[in-house]
Amino acid sequence: MDNPLVQPDPGLFIWTIVTFLVLLTLLAKFAWGPLLQALESRHALIKKSLDDAQQAKQELERLQQESAQIIKTARVEAEAIVSRSRSDGERLREEMKQKARSDAEGIVRNAERQIQLETARAVQQIRREAVDLSVMIASKIIGRNLSKADNESLIEEALKQIETPRH
Amino acid sequence: MLVQEAVQEHAAAAAEGAAEKFNAGKTIIEHVSNSGHDHPLIRLPHVLGIDFSVTKHVLMLWLVAAFVFVVVTWTVRRYLKQDRPLPTGFMNALEAVVEFVRDAIVQPNVGKKWVNTWTPLVLTLFVFILCANGIGLIPVFETIGLLDHFVLHTAEDSFLKHVMHGGTTATANFNVTAALATITFFAIIVAGSRAHGAIKHWVNMVPHGLAWPLYIILIPIEVMGMFVRPFALTMRLAANMTGGHIAILAILSFVFLFTEMAGRAIVGIGVGAVVSVPLAVGISGLEIIVVLVQAYVFALLSAVFIGMAIHVHH
Repeated sequence: MDNPLVQPDPGLFIWTIVTFLVLLTLLAKFAWGPLLQALESRHALIKKSLDDAQQAKQELERLQQESAQIIKTARVEAEAIVSRSRSDGERLREEMKQKARSDAEGIVRNAERQIQLETARAVQQIRREAVDLSVMIASKIIGRNLSKADNESLIEEALKQIETPRH
Repeated sequence: MLVQEAVQEHAAAAAEGAAEKFNAGKTIIEHVSNSGHDHPLIRLPHVLGIDFSVTKHVLMLWLVAAFVFVVVTWTVRRYLKQDRPLPTGFMNALEAVVEFVRDAIVQPNVGKKWVNTWTPLVLTLFVFILCANGIGLIPVFETIGLLDHFVLHTAEDSFLKHVMHGGTTATANFNVTAALATITFFAIIVAGSRAHGAIKHWVNMVPHGLAWPLYIILIPIEVMGMFVRPFALTMRLAANMTGGHIAILAILSFVFLFTEMAGRAIVGIGVGAVVSVPLAVGISGLEIIVVLVQAYVFALLSAVFIGMAIHVHH
């Protein structure tokens, strides 16, 4: 057994164990421990980020739906407002037209009544003038003045006769 | 690397002169075995009859451990110093290794509860063995030897000359792999004791509720199994790491054997160029895979054995 490949070497054996244990201790303390911890915390971080992203996406979708809903409502409302104001305008215009027409009618009616009254008063006046003239003319023709009383009764009679045939 | 090795071999053979015959077996063994205790790098006293002198493989272990510690710790510290945990550069590779070991080797075997307890051990085993295996593939010392031979010309008993003795792959030495397997051996016991208690762990080693005569057979088998597992780890790693190197060296020896046979250097160089170097390059490529696979197998089996002590199935 003088082959150097199979020589037991307790010194090397113990050196190996010592070297390895020292390396293991140092690495475990300074490298593997912190690294494994960092890997785990990064794993958690990535998981959290993915969850957050998922949540944000859902939130965004919800908000988009909400805003779409709001826009839809607003559009419907706007349409309602427009149509309401259009019908309001229509009604207002109609009312104004109506009022204008009725005003115009009132004015016309007033004017007509005024005209009638004026006409009637003018006719009355003309009639009186005519009576006076007739009396004057008649007294000249007759040549004498009728007594006051005769006069008056005659006038009344004449007036009645004039007015009667008119009605 | 192989060309350099070949040149160095040739130079060494030439230096020794034609008077001494080329002994392939001796040269190969010298290149894969540890430096002898008769000429250690640092002579240390015997303690309890054990020679603690620093041989080449002890030096290699220290170099590997220092390299692993500095690279890994520096990378991890630089990564953790950032405000935002963004892995960059080498940290990506290291993280891939760490997550692979944790998620593909340790967790399936020891389970979620113990994964953080045993990942550091299995990770250290994997990285340490991988680097020790890998450094064996890089002809650092052969290059230094060439430099010494042609440029530096140091004295015969200089530290550099001492460092040139012996192989560079510490994991090709079964003393080293036995020590690593011993770590696994005790890790199994610790894992079982922590999961089930110091006594229950030993009780768990045999199935419960069998007829008593069976235990007479089973207990010795299980006790043997306890030692066979680390023994298998020891031999697998050491033999795999030695085998490839021996194959490469044997093929490169053709150069000198043919030179001696023909008595002319041109024949040996021709054989080297046509046969040895291409073959050795191929085997070196294969060795890169072996280096990875053996580190993986050692780590995986350690995790499996630790897992078996935690999750007892019979």
